[in-house]
Amino acid sequence: MMESVLLRARGVPNSRDIETYLKAGGWEGFKKALTMAPEAVIQEVMDSELRGRGGAGFPTGRKWSFVPKDHPGPKYLICNADESEPGTFKDREIIEHDPQMVLEGVAIASYAIGAHTAYIYIRGEFFRWARILEEAIAQARAKGFLGKDILNTGYDLDIWVHRGAGAYICGEETALIESLEGKRGFPRLKPPFPAVVGVFGKPTVVNNVETLACLPHILTRGAKWFASIGRPKNTGPKLFCVSGHVNKPGVYELPLGVTFREIIFEHAGGIRNGRKLKAFFPGGSSAPVLTADEVDVVADFDSCAAAGTMLGSGGVIVMDDTVDMVEVGRNLAHFYAHESCGQCTPCREGSDWCLDILNRLVGGYGHPSDPDQLLRICRFASQGMTICPLGDAFSLPISSLVRKFRHEFEAAIARAKPLPPKKLPVMPWAGKDVRFGG
Amino acid sequence: MPKLTIDGREVEVPQGTNLIEAARLAGVEVPYFCYHPYLSVVGQCRICMVEIEGQPRLAIACATPAADGMVVKSETSERVREAREAVMEFLLANHPLDCPVCDQAGECLLQDHAMSEQRGTFASGMLETRRTFPGLERRLLGPHVIQNQNRCIHCSRCIRFTQEISETSALTYKSRGNSAYIDTFDGKPFDDPFSACAADVCPVGALTVREFRFRKRAWKLLSTPSVCPGCSIGCNIWIDHHERIVYRFTPRENPDINATWLCDYGRFLAESLNQQDVLRPRRKAGSGWQELSWPEVLRALALDMKAAKTLRVVASGTMSNEELYLARELFTRHLKGEMVVPVFAGEPRKMKNGQRQWIFSESALPNSEGAKRLGIPTADEQGLARFLYGAADVTVILDPQAHPFLASPEAAQLVKVSPAVVVARVETPLLDAATWVLPAASLASNEGTFTSSTGKVQRFAAAVAPAGEARPLWQVLSLLASELGFGSLAADTPAQVFASLAAAEEAFSGLSWDQLLGAEEESYRERHHVG
Repeated sequence: MMESVLLRARGVPNSRDIETYLKAGGWEGFKKALTMAPEAVIQEVMDSELRGRGGAGFPTGRKWSFVPKDHPGPKYLICNADESEPGTFKDREIIEHDPQMVLEGVAIASYAIGAHTAYIYIRGEFFRWARILEEAIAQARAKGFLGKDILNTGYDLDIWVHRGAGAYICGEETALIESLEGKRGFPRLKPPFPAVVGVFGKPTVVNNVETLACLPHILTRGAKWFASIGRPKNTGPKLFCVSGHVNKPGVYELPLGVTFREIIFEHAGGIRNGRKLKAFFPGGSSAPVLTADEVDVVADFDSCAAAGTMLGSGGVIVMDDTVDMVEVGRNLAHFYAHESCGQCTPCREGSDWCLDILNRLVGGYGHPSDPDQLLRICRFASQGMTICPLGDAFSLPISSLVRKFRHEFEAAIARAKPLPPKKLPVMPWAGKDVRFGG
Repeated sequence: MPKLTIDGREVEVPQGTNLIEAARLAGVEVPYFCYHPYLSVVGQCRICMVEIEGQPRLAIACATPAADGMVVKSETSERVREAREAVMEFLLANHPLDCPVCDQAGECLLQDHAMSEQRGTFASGMLETRRTFPGLERRLLGPHVIQNQNRCIHCSRCIRFTQEISETSALTYKSRGNSAYIDTFDGKPFDDPFSACAADVCPVGALTVREFRFRKRAWKLLSTPSVCPGCSIGCNIWIDHHERIVYRFTPRENPDINATWLCDYGRFLAESLNQQDVLRPRRKAGSGWQELSWPEVLRALALDMKAAKTLRVVASGTMSNEELYLARELFTRHLKGEMVVPVFAGEPRKMKNGQRQWIFSESALPNSEGAKRLGIPTADEQGLARFLYGAADVTVILDPQAHPFLASPEAAQLVKVSPAVVVARVETPLLDAATWVLPAASLASNEGTFTSSTGKVQRFAAAVAPAGEARPLWQVLSLLASELGFGSLAADTPAQVFASLAAAEEAFSGLSWDQLLGAEEESYRERHHVG
């Protein structure tokens, strides 16, 4: 069992207070970073092989290195605390227990890319945690870790907390930037990437809370120490949010490279009521589902990719054998159809169409063409057909459900009643949208 | 200048050209719905997918700049065909397909693409009821625009138009995902000086122009290039007409003046061109009128004018350069009369050109600048009143709409004093004061050139034959000149007048009639950018 790094403050009394944090060696990483050149900080993070914890797993140091060095105007750092992925609750846990660690990470990253303003974009529903961060910023400012001329080094940094309005899409970095600018949360076309043209048209780095929380430890204990945790290219501690039909759901800090069997059966206490594992989402609801047979897949970025899924945010959603996979699909489609921003065609129409089909299936009006139709929709709403990854986020899990549990879909179709006669409302005659099933 | 290959055709395009425009230059049509050459690129509709060699994923042509050595496949790629078919399936999934009763049919990008590219073989596996927007099927969005949200394909062209071109940011999306719909930001009526352009840019029938809706099927309309008579900016227009009736103006592309826009004021002048109250030449006889034929009236007028010792002429900023030139030569050079052009600023109008710069109107009439360049003295309201004060042997008013003063009772009083010839199309109180009334043809039946306030000489073509006995003014003046024996001014076509004008006037030297029209025929591009 590895020592707690990111969750070391959990269970410590008064852990949010800056004094507690300083006693545990807090803000030392930032102090050390200030003695180094920004390039050296970036190099240190590159050496640690830290990969982004928000879902995509992009190497953090490399992301920073895309920021133009000689850019004359301001640059910005954004901490993405818009944690909205179903089954994910790790950033909230870090902010709840150790907000100073997040701030220190923000400060280190800002120093590395040369930003003097950083924003923490926090999900609208997280008002308690927004307040925690505000208090933490006030404390850090009082101690001189933020503000003008920090610790007499001449480096200035201000951190602002910006609350979102509760849209899932604003966790996508360019939609987040639009939202931060006060606009509708529509993802932008890429290129240009935010590292070149970001918030207010300036170079911007967007990092996840957990990614930033790793930075103080990399700086104080060295890249070598960090890289020694986990497996090559997949280093460091990772928070796994285990939810669903397990005995002990919760956030577990484990090194990358454990298997999902260990996570589910050792740490989370196995399946509830002695039932059997049926399937699980390894990294939030946007990751393709894995079946019970694939429980020995190693929980790191590359192994998950090799297994045809992704580690994503580390939200492990466990389902036991009572679960109807068609209903799972409907549940997912409901979420994504509601959260699709409506900007580009395949995602806007595809997510809603999937929901309609799955509603119909669950409602007992399945049609033999439905599984193939779902696969077709998912195929053309993913893989670069959309502006942002939300298309993939609904397509990949739904198509994986159809592929891996096709027999359940077919059973639902076999049980189905015949379709009621169909009306094509050119104009709705009843003044009401009539849908099947749902 | 990047050189690239599109569907096997090599083409060299200017730096920064996107693949849609590059393909157009290569002779390949890439379909699009949300792309518009004068609006920002958003890449929302996803129909313009192309395959670029060496890139694993398909790229959207609108947002991909052409690069040297690029090998692009559009119609020749099976992957592209599949992807576009899928996008069409998505777009049509919730589109009502009410083309037979939709007023956009015939000029709808979605319909065109469904019919041409997919060759009508399109089929959908959709079993669901379509998503509808109860209450938004025929909503008056503003005074000129009717919305049918069911048909919307969420391309955001109208939203971008109000943000980037008219700068009112009046329109926005409301709600999210598949429930998103177009509405005004504040919920108030969409009252924008360019509101009908939002319907123009709409690729489908979601936004239609109230004034034109259900008046005429788009495919029946013939389009004739012309210039808007609404102010001195000189926006390029198409006159859309059928069977001698003008139905509407639509913007004609001109990057230097109006890009592809037209203000509501100018646009809705269209149907006023159909008004022709004065159909035959007439002379006052006692308390009534006597109708005459053109030869009779011209002979009688010529006699009067020859005998006149004092001749005063009110020209107009609505007259073409050719007409102004003919009038000036005839009345001032040969007949030694006096001539003025009334000027007035009117309501301020503005237009945004292709470089997104505002152009402001200087005069309310389309050719005041041309009159200035021809050296005709101008007159404001007071000047005009002074000019018409007292008696003259003959007063000629070439257009009663040259100045609002001419519609006033005072003007009628002034004109009444002496014999007056009024060339007119619409009945005004001034006609009662006239001795002679000659029918003039409207802009739609005339041919000539206007000089815009930015100094561009632009030609307009005749769309419809004049009603009744009405004749274009240049023809009247030319016939009158030959009747008076000034054969050098006689002309069979305005082109001949323009040729002598260009030879005589420095302001017009070097210009050639044939090159002033811009687009002679309506091109695919012209038509489809306005929706």
